[in-house]
Amino acid sequence: MIETLQWTTLAICAFVAVARVPSTLRGENRSLFGIFAMMTLAILLSIQGPYLVIDQALGGINLANLLLRFVIFGAIYFMGIRISRGFGADGAYRHITGKTGMLVLLVISTVMVALFFSMDTAGSSAGLSAISAKDARHFALVEYYGAAGRAYPAYVALALVPALVGAARDRLPALVRTGAGLLALGGAAVALTLLFPVIPPELGQIEFIINYTAILCFVVGLALIWAARVVNGRSTARKRTSSET
Amino acid sequence: MTLSAKAFQRWLQGIAPDASTADVCRVSGIKRTTLAQQLVRGKVSVSTVVSISRAYRINPVTALAGFDAYSALAGPPRPPTRNELVSQISTADLLRALLARPAMDADRGAAAPALSPAPHATSVKNWVDAIDDGEVRHRVSASTGVAPQNYSAQLTANRLSPELAMATASAARVGPAGGLVATGVITEEEAGWPPGARQAALDSLSDGELTALAGDRLQALGKVLRRQEQDQAQTEKIWENLG
Repeated sequence: MIETLQWTTLAICAFVAVARVPSTLRGENRSLFGIFAMMTLAILLSIQGPYLVIDQALGGINLANLLLRFVIFGAIYFMGIRISRGFGADGAYRHITGKTGMLVLLVISTVMVALFFSMDTAGSSAGLSAISAKDARHFALVEYYGAAGRAYPAYVALALVPALVGAARDRLPALVRTGAGLLALGGAAVALTLLFPVIPPELGQIEFIINYTAILCFVVGLALIWAARVVNGRSTARKRTSSET
Repeated sequence: MTLSAKAFQRWLQGIAPDASTADVCRVSGIKRTTLAQQLVRGKVSVSTVVSISRAYRINPVTALAGFDAYSALAGPPRPPTRNELVSQISTADLLRALLARPAMDADRGAAAPALSPAPHATSVKNWVDAIDDGEVRHRVSASTGVAPQNYSAQLTANRLSPELAMATASAARVGPAGGLVATGVITEEEAGWPPGARQAALDSLSDGELTALAGDRLQALGKVLRRQEQDQAQTEKIWENLG
């Protein structure tokens, strides 16, 4: 079931990224293509098979996992900028791009890199599960490393959620509101990942479901807002031609 | 509150004893699937009865009066109040009438064009405002159980279900058919409003009354337009960044 969820998410995300190519070539919101492409890469790196292949190419010391973390940071950072600008959330925009945001990103990244290199990471293993199983010290380090990796996305998501909830309840086109609602749900799911340490190991599947729900909500939410614009563009174009004839 | 299919069938028997459902639909222009669905669900809409009545040349008000929920419509029609009549004049017509008044320095002999028929773009809200003594919304909400914010939302969208229109008229103690006119379910003529009544009501307004009324309408219209513009600007901004 997890496998299906992973590959489906990958397919949807890759599809949206490819669908963005024409508008990116026209120069419309290029960073959106970047966001979708980064998310696609992140999903690819979080699936066992592709992860092992890529990590082997990178030397087999799980650098791919570190890469995955930074790809997620990049995607969430640019998404945070676009969303806070789009929804007029000036406070959130400052929290993400201002001094605080940069400091949070810097501290978390430094801690994460330090934790990564203090581990013996030889031997490709998706989710670092083999590393975690080495001994108690490695188990703790992997936990902290994972927590650091979830902290930055959660920080950005928490900054965005209020504006998104507000937009979902506003008088906006239905597709835009649905999109904002999905983005809010995704943001809430990302914030929820902070609670992973208290989830008992036997319920580990919940973590997967929360992660992929978040990604799916983000991708579909962004795609819906885009779709609303396309639909709107078509109907105004039609109105214009009908009034001309 | 729709009409029960049973009562509807009985009524239909009375006006077109030999007609099949297909005949009724053909004559009245109702889609067969629509009527079939309403009959299956056991709930026939008011507009169905109105369309069929018109097709069989029966006054829809009289027809509706035969159903329990609309029995208030029975009897001789109560004339509308002046406020009700004026509320059913569109803002554009009000402004034209105002511009034709001597107070506005109109050319002698310049006459405002004939009024366009009710309902107009804000007729429902204007009607409720015209009959509201300040407590009508509360009384409607208390008697029907519809939450005030849902009621307001309907008015803002220039809609009001027939049962709420009836409840509003009764809460304001005005003629029962006024709300059905304002919502466009029936025409002024069908409601028994005298021909030219709206024009007469308009002519009876003094220059001051008409100007103040036009001002109120413009202010309300301005608010709606500004809100639409703000929503549009917000949407544009979202699309600019995320579209």
